[in-house]
Amino acid sequence: MRTVEGRASGVRFVPGQPDMWAFVLFEALVFTSYFTVYVIRRTQSPDLFLQSQAHLDLRVGVFNTLVLLLSSWSVARCVHAAREGSFRAALADAYLTMLFGFVFLASKVREWAAAIAQGFSFTTDEFFSFYYFLTAIHFLHLLIGFVVLGVAVHQSRSFAGRSPELVETCATYWHTIDFLWVLIFALLYVMR
Amino acid sequence: MSRRWDEKRELWIGWWTLVVFYNLYGLLFFVVARTQPPPKPSLDPSEIVQWFADRRDGLLYGYAIVSIVGGATAIMNATLAYTMRRMSVSRAFAYSYLVIYALATLPGMLIMGVVCTVGAMRPDRDPELLSWLYDFAFLSFEGTMGVFLVGSLVWMVAVLLDRNRVFPKWFGYLNLCNALTEVVVAPAWIFKRGVFAWDGVIAWWINMAVFVTYTAVFLTLLRRMIVREDFGTGPLPELESDRAPGPAGTLEAAR
Repeated sequence: MRTVEGRASGVRFVPGQPDMWAFVLFEALVFTSYFTVYVIRRTQSPDLFLQSQAHLDLRVGVFNTLVLLLSSWSVARCVHAAREGSFRAALADAYLTMLFGFVFLASKVREWAAAIAQGFSFTTDEFFSFYYFLTAIHFLHLLIGFVVLGVAVHQSRSFAGRSPELVETCATYWHTIDFLWVLIFALLYVMR
Repeated sequence: MSRRWDEKRELWIGWWTLVVFYNLYGLLFFVVARTQPPPKPSLDPSEIVQWFADRRDGLLYGYAIVSIVGGATAIMNATLAYTMRRMSVSRAFAYSYLVIYALATLPGMLIMGVVCTVGAMRPDRDPELLSWLYDFAFLSFEGTMGVFLVGSLVWMVAVLLDRNRVFPKWFGYLNLCNALTEVVVAPAWIFKRGVFAWDGVIAWWINMAVFVTYTAVFLTLLRRMIVREDFGTGPLPELESDRAPGPAGTLEAAR
């Protein structure tokens, strides 16, 4: 059998590594299945879900959404700077994205603590089971996002082997987290 | 027998062991013992007595075979660990993977099998005792999820750091997807009914769909890796069929 070494550089169809887009697609499928289960269960017990949903503070949900949208803006700036070779600016934007991420995490922990203090735990009812489940699995994705942003920071700080493509790959992951949050926000806080 | 076959024979034995074992595992757990898909955790003692009675022969014969073939996991794990040895990363990855999956075999397969067999062997036991065995068996099975979580992360990091192109990077990210769905099983320790219970749509069905996809993918990629293996230490050559069109890419005869 004959083999070939090396890869031809082909035309880029997506920003960053195409491999990361495989992750985005797969995660989108997995989350779609979670959302589908949530909607079906909600349809089966609409009153229970509405009553429990009323205990969530919509303002906190909006604040968290805005913070994550701002983080999407800053990570997009990071990519733009990296593409232009302005890695100092890219570094500042990566740190700014981290800051927005920390604000979101702190706000989310505060929201959980407040809900628990009011007596709404993971096992209170089905709505709160979904609320903690979806927000916690998203929280976990966000924690991994800090490792991913760490790669972007490393790329921006390192003087050898700086790769705008890798920064784009990190940004793709971060945007995915934001996208998933917007859907979670719509389902948990807004949908009636 | 060709020289190429001589060199790769051991790897093919490992790959076929994986394929046969996973199929046999599915047959024994889903068809013979009928412990998968898992039954409801909310069954009361009288229903649990009936559950053991309904599948007594399947449990006894099924898990007898499991105990015989269970040792095949050593060959499977070694074959998977080999992929990490072929990578440019530290050997610590392969060693971690070996140890962690050796541990997974105990709660996920052997302990569950023994406990179910103990329940099926004497169906006239006190229903409370059978209930205890029932919970122990299925919680033991669920207990492997943390091991699969860490194992997937070990493989993910190895694939992403590897410079020998043993696996594509997207497989590294797929490992992350698999790891994250293992986390979702954690609520099964808390809930007795609903989508988060051990038989729930989220804790079992979606998780299983991801795991089956993941397993099919890594078996396919492992097969390709064995075909590409040149027993060197540098990057693995690509298959000619994967060569991208264009001027780049150097043809090289495989050994």
